Amino acid sequence: MDSCIGVEQDLDKAISKFTALSEHTDKVLFDVIEQVENLKNEIAKQPPDTPLSQTQAMVANELADRVKKTVFQMSTEHRELHATVSRVGKAIDRHFILDYASVAPKAESFCSNTNKSIMEEAIAQHLYRQGLEEVGDTLVAEAGLEGVERTCTFAQLQRCAGALAAGDPGPALLWAERRAHDLAHSPLPFTLHRMQALKLARECGVAAAIEYVRAQFPAHAARHERQLQAAVCALAWCTEGAPPPPPHYRHLLEPAALGEWQLGPPLAQYTAAAAGRRVRAGLVHGGRAAAAAALPPPAGARRARTQRQLQAAVCALAWCTEGAPPPPPHYRHLLEPAALGAEAAELFTREACALLRLAPLSPLAGAVLAGARVLPALHDIRAKMTHPHVIAAWADDELPLEVDLGEDGGGYHSVFACPILRQQASDQNPPMRLLCGHVISRDALNKLATGAKSVKLKCPYCPTEQAPSEARQIYFA
Amino acid sequence: MNEIKSLEHPTLKVPYEVFNKRYRNAQRVLDVEARHVGSVTSEIETATNNETVTTGEIDTLLGGMVEKLTTMKRKASEAINEELQMAYVCKKRLDHLKEQAVVLAEPSSPQVRSTMSQWRKVRLDRMLVEYFLKNGYYESANKLADERSLRELSNVDIYAAAAEVETELRQRRTARCLQWCADNKSKLRRLNSSMEFMIRIQEFIELVREDKRLEAVKYAKKHFSTFENGQLQDIQHCMGMLAFPKDTDVQPYRSLLCEGRWTALERQFRWEHARLLHPARFPALPVALQLGLAALNTPQCYQESTKVSACPACQPPLSRLARQLPHAHCSHSRLVCRITGHPLNEYNQPMALPNGQVYGEKAIKEMMKLGSIVCPKTKEEFPLKSVEKVYVM
Repeated sequence: MDSCIGVEQDLDKAISKFTALSEHTDKVLFDVIEQVENLKNEIAKQPPDTPLSQTQAMVANELADRVKKTVFQMSTEHRELHATVSRVGKAIDRHFILDYASVAPKAESFCSNTNKSIMEEAIAQHLYRQGLEEVGDTLVAEAGLEGVERTCTFAQLQRCAGALAAGDPGPALLWAERRAHDLAHSPLPFTLHRMQALKLARECGVAAAIEYVRAQFPAHAARHERQLQAAVCALAWCTEGAPPPPPHYRHLLEPAALGEWQLGPPLAQYTAAAAGRRVRAGLVHGGRAAAAAALPPPAGARRARTQRQLQAAVCALAWCTEGAPPPPPHYRHLLEPAALGAEAAELFTREACALLRLAPLSPLAGAVLAGARVLPALHDIRAKMTHPHVIAAWADDELPLEVDLGEDGGGYHSVFACPILRQQASDQNPPMRLLCGHVISRDALNKLATGAKSVKLKCPYCPTEQAPSEARQIYFA
Repeated sequence: MNEIKSLEHPTLKVPYEVFNKRYRNAQRVLDVEARHVGSVTSEIETATNNETVTTGEIDTLLGGMVEKLTTMKRKASEAINEELQMAYVCKKRLDHLKEQAVVLAEPSSPQVRSTMSQWRKVRLDRMLVEYFLKNGYYESANKLADERSLRELSNVDIYAAAAEVETELRQRRTARCLQWCADNKSKLRRLNSSMEFMIRIQEFIELVREDKRLEAVKYAKKHFSTFENGQLQDIQHCMGMLAFPKDTDVQPYRSLLCEGRWTALERQFRWEHARLLHPARFPALPVALQLGLAALNTPQCYQESTKVSACPACQPPLSRLARQLPHAHCSHSRLVCRITGHPLNEYNQPMALPNGQVYGEKAIKEMMKLGSIVCPKTKEEFPLKSVEKVYVM
């Protein structure tokens, strides 16, 4: 923050000076031009071959002198801004680190030909995963990459979610059918079929829907009996011109809503956000009442988790008509459609990834995120120790320091560090569980055993005693 | 020290360099225009001192002055506006950086976290665009910047001119590259750049290739005489080439006549252009990627049985890069349950099965619900009684 403010001060000063100069230059030149034109008009009143009178000569001379001074003055004024400009540059140099690569001596090897193509392959995969297929294709062509897999689970998932939100369960159904086995205990297939049935009813008539229902529903009859009844009953109201359905069925008949609810219980958070978005959509179409109606009733288990967000969403209604006073900061983000959309997408990805046991970040994004966290720490240590040892530490097989990668980076593998020797366990030095349950490394165990006079070994953490041979090797990975 | 401070120097410095360049350009415009106006004023002064001057002549002179002043006004406001425009780009990026700083200062809440990850996403996209630009993947850079509306936060517009020069070089034309060298002469000299010299040599080679040897000599007289020491050997090689046929096999003339030199020129131009804007040797992406992989790297990432699908350092293609890097330093144990992926701590105690495999308490309970405890690794079955707690300090 400090670094930003430091630069901002100088930059703001430069901007205001240049704005002032721009206005000043314009005005001064405008005035001068006007003066010259006035004189010109005056002189032009006389026939062109009259000799210039003494006074006219003097006036013209004076004006010429003034014009000359003004224009040179202007260039001087601009030149004087040099200090202001270079101060911005110096502020940037002072507040930010110029050579970030200094702590990463192996970056060079990443730009070598073999490694570069590996890295670019990862970039292309990342782009595909983000759904940026066109950019990915362009990169593959420009960088001359070969054999980058174009489709991936994640992009597919995103396409499915997108289609669902738009009210089309087709892609999601295909996806679910291919994973019928994994989804045996999930309500997802049924909900998707239900959605498809109602979509058919709307588009091709009730008969087609019933046909579809006959084919698909029996497999789900046992588990979803009540919902099945509701779905079939709802068919009664879904032709056009039918009277409005009773409230109980209404949410079933709303294609978009169904799409969002579809994403199922693990995505409760997402749905809450989506509900918020629908409120917003309702607002656009008309009044608060409509918005309130658009809020779906939170069902049983969902209630506890989403209630607070729901309250917030409804409270936010108070500020969302046009011309309303600016909302308090707490509600502001709820009323920004872009922010809300981003939040919903974010939550969806996180939850969906958890469901599918996928990493929420692409490998590239994950690694870069971790790298961005490590970099400041390395700069810190470098600033404190100018000793060549720091760089020498890179020659070893370990980073020179431990960095906490935070909640959403790192921690993919178990790493056991012996609490006695503060060393990472390895195959030669595995973790050993003592009888009391405490774990130390084998090297530490051996040292304790040789140091002790008796055959008994005391646990370093509790009073339990045991023979060294009673310790058992355990495996964290 | 924070992420912004250590990574974002180029984000601000590159537009600043352009701002600075435009400032100098505007200064030159103002000086030139002032001189033009100045010459008209002196004409008027000499004319008014001349006693035989008529009003008609003065009228024309004044008309000329109005014209000059109007041009100056137009050019000055154009130049100053260009400066301001760049200053606003700097400002915009600074605001973007401040966004993250503000969020960091706030206490953690779901909303803050989602803003944060949103910001990080933008940062990654920015890094990608920068990487593309520095490697000459201009089309990818443009597409990505448009897709994510990053035009102002990235340097695509600043690099647009470079892309054109490179296209010209690819078509064996040097005019724009020479123009660029002339525009940045003083800076290039300070950086000890050999760009212009290389282009001159290439033009000489092309003349030899076309068998216009006399013209080549003339060209050499004109351009090679002014070059600094250290380049003398190259010049000698060039002149030596005059004695050989263009399809010679004799080195170094053969490599001088080789077509690959054009690609090298293109690469050199790309490198010099980037260096002129920012001295960093590498784009931020490989640096962050390398450190990130090193921080995530564990010995377990290389064994088929202990790989984790979510770990970036385990999965190809990045795993091939991670293998060359150091491991994360670890002086405190950090344990994860292999079944659930949740961390092992006081809320999810690590439990050891009789075969020594450790899993989380939650996973063991989950397995109990399904009837029995089966070690996922060895497929042995154990009774609940035999599972023991493990205490990791």
